[in-house]
Amino acid sequence: MAHEKVDAVVVGSGASGSVFAAVLAKAGKKVVVLDNGPGWRRTDLISSDIWGRRLKPAGGPIVLGGKHPFAYANQAAYAVGGAALHYFAQFPRYLPTDFKMKSEHNRGRDWPISYEDVAPFYDKVADDIGVSGDAKAEEKWRPPGKPYPMPPMKIFPAGQVWLKGAEANGIKLVPMANGMNSVPYKDRVACIYDGWCHVGCPIGALANPIVTYLGEAYKAHAQVRSLCNVTRVLTNPEGTRAIGVEYYGPGKEREVQEASVVVLAAWSAQNPRILLNSATDKHPKGLANKNDLVGKFMMTHHIAGTWAIFDKDITPHMGTVGAQFMSYDRYAKTSYPNAFGSSFIAVGTSHKTNDYAQSRGDLFGPELAAYMKRAARGLTHLTIFGEDLPNAENRVELISDKDEYGLPMARLIHSFDDDAVALWNANFEQGLKIAKATDAKESWPGKGPVIPTAHLHGGAIMGKDSSDSVTNSYGQTHEIPNLWMAGPCIFPTEGASNPTYTIFAVALRGAEHLAEHWGSVAG
Amino acid sequence: MTGMERRAFMQGAGLGALAFMVNGAEIMLTPRQAQAQAVPLRTLTAGQAATLDAVGETLVPGAKEAGITNFVDQQISVPPEEALLQARILNVRPPFANFYRAALGAIDGASTKTKGHKFAELSPAEQHDFINLMRQNKIEGWQGPPEPFVYTVLRGDAVDVVYATVEGYDMLGIPYMPHVPPIKKW
Repeated sequence: MAHEKVDAVVVGSGASGSVFAAVLAKAGKKVVVLDNGPGWRRTDLISSDIWGRRLKPAGGPIVLGGKHPFAYANQAAYAVGGAALHYFAQFPRYLPTDFKMKSEHNRGRDWPISYEDVAPFYDKVADDIGVSGDAKAEEKWRPPGKPYPMPPMKIFPAGQVWLKGAEANGIKLVPMANGMNSVPYKDRVACIYDGWCHVGCPIGALANPIVTYLGEAYKAHAQVRSLCNVTRVLTNPEGTRAIGVEYYGPGKEREVQEASVVVLAAWSAQNPRILLNSATDKHPKGLANKNDLVGKFMMTHHIAGTWAIFDKDITPHMGTVGAQFMSYDRYAKTSYPNAFGSSFIAVGTSHKTNDYAQSRGDLFGPELAAYMKRAARGLTHLTIFGEDLPNAENRVELISDKDEYGLPMARLIHSFDDDAVALWNANFEQGLKIAKATDAKESWPGKGPVIPTAHLHGGAIMGKDSSDSVTNSYGQTHEIPNLWMAGPCIFPTEGASNPTYTIFAVALRGAEHLAEHWGSVAG
Repeated sequence: MTGMERRAFMQGAGLGALAFMVNGAEIMLTPRQAQAQAVPLRTLTAGQAATLDAVGETLVPGAKEAGITNFVDQQISVPPEEALLQARILNVRPPFANFYRAALGAIDGASTKTKGHKFAELSPAEQHDFINLMRQNKIEGWQGPPEPFVYTVLRGDAVDVVYATVEGYDMLGIPYMPHVPPIKKW
């Protein structure tokens, strides 16, 4: 089945896809968005750790490999709105150093752009969708940028109890920047701090795509089709232009959506899979893959978590899943003598009963029952995200297993190098030192045999030309000018802070550039 | 409507229920109600159910009465994209029933081999010791998915039915505070 040709087809409706859809639709382009997940309504976002799993993949086309596999299902989505429908909405910025790792340290890679190129788009995103925070308090680290449009979120005891320990360790905690409403913003209500953000915010206080850019796209007449699995990008016989995408909709029938421009914003592992599965005689190794760079340089943050339990009621269940406080005081890439990479500290997230149980995974039986009662009053957590350097061995590659449409599935292979493991260990030591300097009754590292991971980047990285990258800084592929990539797949390094604010900002920069240069791109 | 008003509005709303098949008809019950009414199982065998009841109860006291077996059985009997099991977010490859069959089989196999009886027939002290060894990957002759992973998944299921419900929050003395309460078909 073939659909009427449109100006742009956007594959994926998460943070980056929603931005492209909104910008292009508001520029008067006819836009179709395809997403493999259902179109949940806000009233479907049930407050339950069990029900919240509906928003995540069940199996799916990615299998995991490597020494340190990526935490796939928890980080991806089965939903219109993408993973940003269940994200924590912590909105720290990347710092200027994140764009210049190679220049400053002769490690990793440089971005082809600097912080100054992205900064105006951080400000635009904040104005568009609302960010709460305290820019003044961040002055010690904060690069140039406008103050946040809303004051910081409310503070609860589970966050406050960390202040003493952080100060004793020379670490300044400031209110977290959150993509949540501390006060009513535009037409959206303020947060009520019930701590269910991670299963989808049904009141619209959290800036997920369905209440922000995707909503704007709808208003500008973009069409969003749910339960549509895109399998390939189609190209002209010469292999010089993308002409649309092939997909399978709810009826499991093959459909084709022709378009003047194709934007792949599916997910960092799925985008390369689609490119590789789109091979033709003109592109035998897959689209935009002349130099074998598609699917390479996958990066993820490692997590060093420290638990602490207090002998008083600190209402762990209250607040937001986005942390209350943050610090960049260990963000310098040489913060620790025997490790390399940035670290970002976040403390004071709300926790629900499943979290209490997970915080002591070794306990079961009556000991677990007794512990649950203590945790419900006094448990809190400090998270330190650590940076993973780009490494071509960390990759997405096709495998012989096929999905239900007969297309090869992909394996996401990931291992941390020695520097990353050293940084992970150093962050545990740091976290425990902070915890020991609080009034906590007990504290312990959340450390097991598996290195926990969060956030996925790379796979179609940006750079100067096709010799070292897949796209330019706007997401336009070097090899096919009307095929664009969006999302963290184009990030050449990952920093250490939560990436979604940067995903929104980089996507907005790319989408506005595309709209401004439409004629030369779309042909 | 203020936050407090919204919370008050939600109080008294129903608890989540699953769609169970009883005499060919679909009825909405919580796993606890399904267990109490001895709703027939759709996928697990009686032997697997006995093992899961016993393992669940050893992992989290109260899991058997909270309906862990009916919960898991119902969840592995629906399409994977509808399933809400911990297995889903722990990257178990569907169909999830395969994992549970393998896990429960491994437990009974190892129990029979080392203790001479299936897990459900062991004394509570023996069951506790067995789970403790399984948690640490120390059971001799284990044949199945990795022991600590089986421990993590089944413990997670038991935590779900005992603590991730409104009753579970009540038991811990903390308010559930839903925006949208779990009243729909699971």
